[in-house]
Amino acid sequence: MEQAWLIPAIPAAAFVVLLIAGPYLPRRGDWLSIAAIGASFVLFFPVLFDLVDAINADHEGFVGGVKSWEWISFPGFEIDLGFFVDEITIVMLVVVSFVALMVQIYSVSYMHGDPRYGWYFAVMSLFAASMLTLVLADNLLLMYAAWEGVGFCSFLLIGFWWEKRSAAEAAKKAFVTTRIGDVGFLIGIIMLWREAGTFNIQEIIHFAENGGYDSTYLTAAVLFLFMGAIGKSGQFPLHVWLPDAMEGPTPVSALIHAATMVVAGVYMVARMLPVFVAADAVALDVVTVLGLVTVLMSATMGLAATDIKRVIAYSTLNSLGFMFVALGSQSVTAAMLYLFVHGFFKSLLFLGAGAVIHATEKQDVNELGGLAGKMPVTTLTFLLGVGAMVGIIPLSGFWAKDEVLTVTDSEQSVAIFALVLISVFITALYMTRLFILTFLFEPKDRHAADHAHEGGPLLTVPLILLAIPTVIGGLVVFDSVGEALGFPGGFGQFVWLEEPEKYKFHADIAVMSSAVAVAGVVTGWIAWQGKAELATRVRNAMSPVATLLSRRYYIDDIYQWGINNIVLGVSTIISWFDRVIVNDTGVDGSAGLSYFAGYEIKFTETGRLPNYALGIAAGVVIIGVLLLVFEVKI
Amino acid sequence: MTYEEVIFYFVAALVIAGALGVVVAKNIIHSALFLILALMAVAALFILLAAEFLAIVQVMVYGGAVTILILFAMMLTRVRDLPAPRDGAQKPFAALAAIAFGITSTIAVTSTQFPGESDKINVIAFDSVSDALFTVWALPFEIASLVLIVALMGAIILARGEEGE
Amino acid sequence: MIPINNFLVLSSVLFSIGMYGVLARRNAVLILMSVELMLQAVSINFITFAAYLDPENFTGIIFAVFVIVIAAAEVGLALAIVLRLFRNRQTANVDEADLMKW
Repeated sequence: MEQAWLIPAIPAAAFVVLLIAGPYLPRRGDWLSIAAIGASFVLFFPVLFDLVDAINADHEGFVGGVKSWEWISFPGFEIDLGFFVDEITIVMLVVVSFVALMVQIYSVSYMHGDPRYGWYFAVMSLFAASMLTLVLADNLLLMYAAWEGVGFCSFLLIGFWWEKRSAAEAAKKAFVTTRIGDVGFLIGIIMLWREAGTFNIQEIIHFAENGGYDSTYLTAAVLFLFMGAIGKSGQFPLHVWLPDAMEGPTPVSALIHAATMVVAGVYMVARMLPVFVAADAVALDVVTVLGLVTVLMSATMGLAATDIKRVIAYSTLNSLGFMFVALGSQSVTAAMLYLFVHGFFKSLLFLGAGAVIHATEKQDVNELGGLAGKMPVTTLTFLLGVGAMVGIIPLSGFWAKDEVLTVTDSEQSVAIFALVLISVFITALYMTRLFILTFLFEPKDRHAADHAHEGGPLLTVPLILLAIPTVIGGLVVFDSVGEALGFPGGFGQFVWLEEPEKYKFHADIAVMSSAVAVAGVVTGWIAWQGKAELATRVRNAMSPVATLLSRRYYIDDIYQWGINNIVLGVSTIISWFDRVIVNDTGVDGSAGLSYFAGYEIKFTETGRLPNYALGIAAGVVIIGVLLLVFEVKI
Repeated sequence: MTYEEVIFYFVAALVIAGALGVVVAKNIIHSALFLILALMAVAALFILLAAEFLAIVQVMVYGGAVTILILFAMMLTRVRDLPAPRDGAQKPFAALAAIAFGITSTIAVTSTQFPGESDKINVIAFDSVSDALFTVWALPFEIASLVLIVALMGAIILARGEEGE
Repeated sequence: MIPINNFLVLSSVLFSIGMYGVLARRNAVLILMSVELMLQAVSINFITFAAYLDPENFTGIIFAVFVIVIAAAEVGLALAIVLRLFRNRQTANVDEADLMKW
């Protein structure tokens, strides 16, 4: 466990090697990148076993594995470069390393022949290294550094095909939008540090729990922290970058959505949740409400989107909102469980979508369809992913969603619970629609469908490997499963905030949610089966709503308007100020003044002796007169 | 008015006249001659002040060496063609500054109350001056002679010109 | 009895005339002559103070001696410089020697 720092260090080293020697390596070094992330994945197991042993040995006093080096040291200001392993970290580690490994194997085939093939794998390595560092960081400053590293890599990868204007725009949008949140994150970190005098997460939590912070101050600080999560995890109102991020290569989307980018916000909030709890209740309410708004908004937008990847992107927003609702209900268990299974089924969905795009070179669901017979493996695994997302028993998504619903029911008001249930219905609806339009019934574009075929093993094997945890991953909630694997119990006894909890099956909630989900699926089936007549009729009948959804609630337009009118307006004023006041008056003015002084005054230097002598004489006379007038006694 | 005063005013008039002649004469040779007049009148003033030694030195150094030097310099720097104006463009300012200085210093002098008896000229014995020069002021005296030698050597080197000139 | 102020006023008048000459004249030799006038004014001042106020130490007399020595040195050097100026530029006018201007 002490050597956990190796987990991010190996991909980081791989990145450096690829950056320098990549073009000279055989196959441009893709094997090196995969080997590095594979090593990280393998290294995860000893860390896990160590941790489980430590927990079993001494559960009460357990504080996690720590390893740190001195990083910056001044008198009174010390930062350690530290790594910290505990249960939450472990969950993240397995998701990140496993999904990243799958995605990279998949990419070998998907990215084959790309002119920047080697660069792609180099950045993938850096991406994984950044995320693993973020997960393992024991202090907020290191976490922030890794956080920015993740953002930077996502910028590079979303804009990987930067020749395409939309890709470059999307990369810029993602970068700038998340940056807005990051500023808040940094402010929050500084606020926490100011009072506690340390960046160490555990010490800050300890400080906060002992009431070291003023309540209002702490609330403001955690809300700033949450701003970072909003940006990174694409929560309303900073969600606009996530759908656009689909411009990147599909494996990148899978990685960003499932493992390395958006869950960072959830992880950070989960990690800092004791601080949120210590703050005023408003903080958690904000988390809940924004999560809920995101859930409902993204679910409805998912109904109208036609790009296969965008639909899945909305489902990610949906899931992330779910996790934040769980966190708002003070349940690390539910949030991390959802994150855990979400990582698998969401990457499965994306990689499945990638397989479809790879086979047909189309991504608009209105041009797809009828692929089930041509691509059986993709279809089946995609169906499993959809089932997990919808929450069909016994797929993994069901258990996680059930957990979220349970904590929402017990911690939040009935209204919020009802809204979450509605979102479950809509989720089922649009996921069904996506599946039907993509894989079933008559192909809309017969030519593309005729040429579609299953990809090679490098494409299908990761799908199958990801399908396994998608199906069984949820079973970790059971105490008996956990005990069989050597854990003290189920997921609830492994990851918890206040008290470890034995798993309890809430039949009422399970029935309710299953009924809602099935209703959604059935409705979707009725609406979009065959030629989707019902859906077309409904859309035509409610065209304003459809427009509203397909225009994404006009939020992007509002932002664009704001940028055009407010930001650019202010920019105009600032640029005028810079040009006229700073440049013309300040810089040019002082330069002109000294030029004028130098040029004009130099003519008084005639070089003629009598002039200088006159100056001396005048000086003497003036001094003499002054002495006389003021009667100075020498 | 005592006869001393009569002599003083006469000599003072000669000094002023000579000085004015130096600064206003059109011909440079005339200026030099006026300078001799002024210098000799100053020597007379020194005698009035009972400083005979200085009067002799004045006549010897100024009346002899300096004046001859100046006359030589004039001869060597004679511009034969068109006689350029002797005064510079800043003449009015020069006059203004000089008058202002004269008024200022005159006011300063007349308004000052000097310590001790300010109306009796003490006779300073010739030999006491030489005693002081070679005892109390011996080191400065030697240094002054060194300065003189260095300056004159420098003057020779400057005036002789470079090789091939 | 000649009051001390007579000598002092004469000295300042002589100094002013010398100053005027230095400032107004163009020819280097004339300027030198005016400088000599100023030095004479200074000498008169020194000797006056020595004779009236300082008969024991008569520092002023000694100073006047040094003034004459320095004046002799100065005249020698300055005239050498004027000579060089004339040889290089065919003029003895100081306002034509303005190589040091801007």
